[in-house]
Amino acid sequence: MKKTNLKKIWEMFIYFFHISWFTFGGGWSIVAQMQKDFVDGKHELTAEELLDIVSVGRSLPGTMIGNVAYLFGHRQAGVLGGIAATVGMVTPPMLILSVLTYCYTMFKDNVWIAKMLQGVRAAVVPIILVAALKLRAGAFPTKICYAIAIVACVLNAFLNVNCVLVILLAVVTGLIMGKWKEAEA
Amino acid sequence: MSVLFQLFWSFCQIGFTSFGGMSMVPLINDEMVSHGWMNVSEVSDIVAIAEMTPGPLGLNCATFAGMRVAGILGAIISVLGVLTPTFTLCAVAAVFFEKFKNSRALKNIMTGVRPAALGIIAAVMIDLSRTNYLVNGIFSWRAAVIALLAFYLLAKRKWNVPKVIVLSALLGLLT
Repeated sequence: MKKTNLKKIWEMFIYFFHISWFTFGGGWSIVAQMQKDFVDGKHELTAEELLDIVSVGRSLPGTMIGNVAYLFGHRQAGVLGGIAATVGMVTPPMLILSVLTYCYTMFKDNVWIAKMLQGVRAAVVPIILVAALKLRAGAFPTKICYAIAIVACVLNAFLNVNCVLVILLAVVTGLIMGKWKEAEA
Repeated sequence: MSVLFQLFWSFCQIGFTSFGGMSMVPLINDEMVSHGWMNVSEVSDIVAIAEMTPGPLGLNCATFAGMRVAGILGAIISVLGVLTPTFTLCAVAAVFFEKFKNSRALKNIMTGVRPAALGIIAAVMIDLSRTNYLVNGIFSWRAAVIALLAFYLLAKRKWNVPKVIVLSALLGLLT
């Protein structure tokens, strides 16, 4: 392997390792940082290319930002670049969470911690709700989509159908709906 | 050994059927509770912890669950599981990027998946509510007040999530 290539792969690892320590609130803050560094800063990427990477990364299964890091790393330095970027991105949160999990297991039964956790648990449903409300945009292009959402909820919440199965059904439904649309057109 | 394999397989399935962020919560809830790896309260805790720390929710959950079930090795295996779609599907997509960019099949799939993901997110909220707002089967007014306040601060006052979590923890102490 050429030396310049190795350097690029290493750069991908270091870049994502570096920014992923500070990105609260999921992947979007990493995307914003990439925009700042590569689109506005180094001009190695156009805003449009970044948008393409994000939209492909988002429409593939898995963690959105893991996909984005891989796609960008691959673009800059090939397959190993993709792997380096992804591994760099996941290492900091893994380290932080490992320590926190250890603390959680040690202290969660402490009287004060248990009380705090009870307060926090009460806030989790509204946190999910507010995030879900933001996801509504673009999720319901046609009326059938509302039916899909309701059926998915009922299947999982009341008929105990596993989420994995619900999503697989949704994948098939989406494909069939696409075929219908093509047939109509 | 078999626990490690089960962890990998569970997170592999979670990875392949989730599309980032909150859409992972219902899948994680299903898998963790059905294997007896976590109870519903712990799922709430991990969502809160994941929201307070850097890194995407899915990875944070995988680390937390893996670590609790089988230590550091469990955490690594679970994270690899959740990244399987990235190292397979996404690796293919990177090579044929131009084709994937405008793929109609991908768009069609997402038309079905996006509303369904919201549906199962609603389902997980119902599930979490059953334990978070009922203490020993009795409706907890205190928890409900914290929830309403949290919703108001997040939706109307545009507070960020970590701030709301800290406030809720402090309110939890007031009893």
